[in-house]
Amino acid sequence: MNYKAKNRASSVLLQFILILISVVCLFPLVWMCLIALKPAEESLSGFHSILVLHPTVANFKRLFEMIPLAQNTFNSVFSAVIGTVTSLFFCALAGFAFAKYDFPGRNFLFYFVIATMLIPPEVGSVPLFIIMKNINLINSLWSLIIPRIATAVGIFYMSQYICDVPDEIMEAARIDGCRDFEMFIKIILPIIKPALASWAAITLIARWNDFFWPLLFLRKQSKYTLMVTISLLPVSEGLSTPWPVILAGTTIVIVPIIILYLLLQTMQESGIMAGAVKG
Amino acid sequence: MKRALKKYRAPYLFILPFFILFFVFQLVPTIWTFYISLTNWKGLGTPEFCGFDNYRTLFVDNMFWDSFRNTVIYWISGFVFIILLAILIAVLLNSEKLKGKVFYKTVTFLPYVCASIAVGLIFRMLFDERSGLINEFLASLGQKRIGWLTDMSFSKVPVIILYVWRNTPWYTMIIFSGLLNISRDYYEAATVDGAGVWKQFWFITLPSLKNILFFCSITLTVDSWKMFNESYILPGPGTSNMSLFQYMYQSGFSIFKMGYASAIGVILIIILGMISFVQFSVRKKQMAL
Repeated sequence: MNYKAKNRASSVLLQFILILISVVCLFPLVWMCLIALKPAEESLSGFHSILVLHPTVANFKRLFEMIPLAQNTFNSVFSAVIGTVTSLFFCALAGFAFAKYDFPGRNFLFYFVIATMLIPPEVGSVPLFIIMKNINLINSLWSLIIPRIATAVGIFYMSQYICDVPDEIMEAARIDGCRDFEMFIKIILPIIKPALASWAAITLIARWNDFFWPLLFLRKQSKYTLMVTISLLPVSEGLSTPWPVILAGTTIVIVPIIILYLLLQTMQESGIMAGAVKG
Repeated sequence: MKRALKKYRAPYLFILPFFILFFVFQLVPTIWTFYISLTNWKGLGTPEFCGFDNYRTLFVDNMFWDSFRNTVIYWISGFVFIILLAILIAVLLNSEKLKGKVFYKTVTFLPYVCASIAVGLIFRMLFDERSGLINEFLASLGQKRIGWLTDMSFSKVPVIILYVWRNTPWYTMIIFSGLLNISRDYYEAATVDGAGVWKQFWFITLPSLKNILFFCSITLTVDSWKMFNESYILPGPGTSNMSLFQYMYQSGFSIFKMGYASAIGVILIIILGMISFVQFSVRKKQMAL
């Protein structure tokens, strides 16, 4: 009896702590959505900010008038999607080479790839800007895509996953006359679909939320990604942009990616991407 | 050599894109940074060689030392809070008794999905001195209102909270995946032997997470030394919460002191190199024991 009571108490405590953490995680987001729907007349200060008496979409309309939202959204979607697809392809390709070929210098090169993560490319942003200028990529969305077509962490992740693909499958394919690149496209890619899916989700989130590189390389409003435009909202009307409008902007940035993430998550849970997260 | 290249043409070709991109967009800029840091280049015209002048100026530049100190504070506090919280949440999520695991896993990951820039704007309003919800809450408890983003001594707090809030889920996920690899048998055996929850955590969970925690500490260190978004979107008075990397960006791209900015870049490279070296040697020693 005593043991049972203790067990129940710890279970309740566990539930309680997690609910508390969930509230901390969700509160800023829910609050943002509330404010974004608030009409300009309602009070924003303190506890009044939680009450929304007459929800409205006026803030979003205002936002569309203030900034080229459609263009900026397109820029964000374009660089995030193309960036993710190219990065998946080339990381998987290199990961495949490291995992399944025993070529001279493999271990050294693999550790070299890992070691490149220790010094972030950001520290060289001054010369990087000059390089981008010289190859005419300033104000081009490709400046966000090309440098990160193959990333060290992506290669690491993919090679770990491809290591587990049984060699027999490859042997069989080789006997059937499958050449190296063909093997990658026809055998490896289909097998590692779950890994591709979860890495795609992570890359997509990172690219969508990317701020420093677009800030550095994109210097025209029509070329801005959503993140840069949003960061400029507080000053875009001479420091007088109303808060509900700013938070309408952050809602447009945050809510779509959350919905996308939840969709991917339910797909994963229902087994469409079984085994996506490797233990 | 030639034969090897021919025989292994495919794998070399497959890894080539990474090395080309690394060379052009990472190695060359890093080395070039060392060179520019020795010039007084202003972004236009030809750079003039000026030896270690930039470094001499750096060492007596209060803004540099302010942002340096801030970054160290961000690094250490971020490190402590994020690792502790991530371990806590991961262990809770891994608990067998937990109901609604999928829900909690999803919700606790959400902060990572949100852009720090967007959340930073929300935080600016939450932490507003006069009308912010945080101060309103403090006032209702009878506390004084705090100038979170206007007071020199408090302006780092919202930045740290934002950084911890957004980054903890990522490390929670990594640590959680590590916990899944620990066999339940160990815990059962320990329970039979009468070891309590704390002892189990200390002697089974933590040792099994060594590799993962090492990985986390490396990435967290690199990440916090290049912190930019959080302090950029939550500016405090003067340099009171500016990060080192932000100071570099400002020197280079707001006032176009490219040589000076590059010197800060070199300092960052040296610091990160040194920290990694220490972390790896500690790790090596641990493994030898």
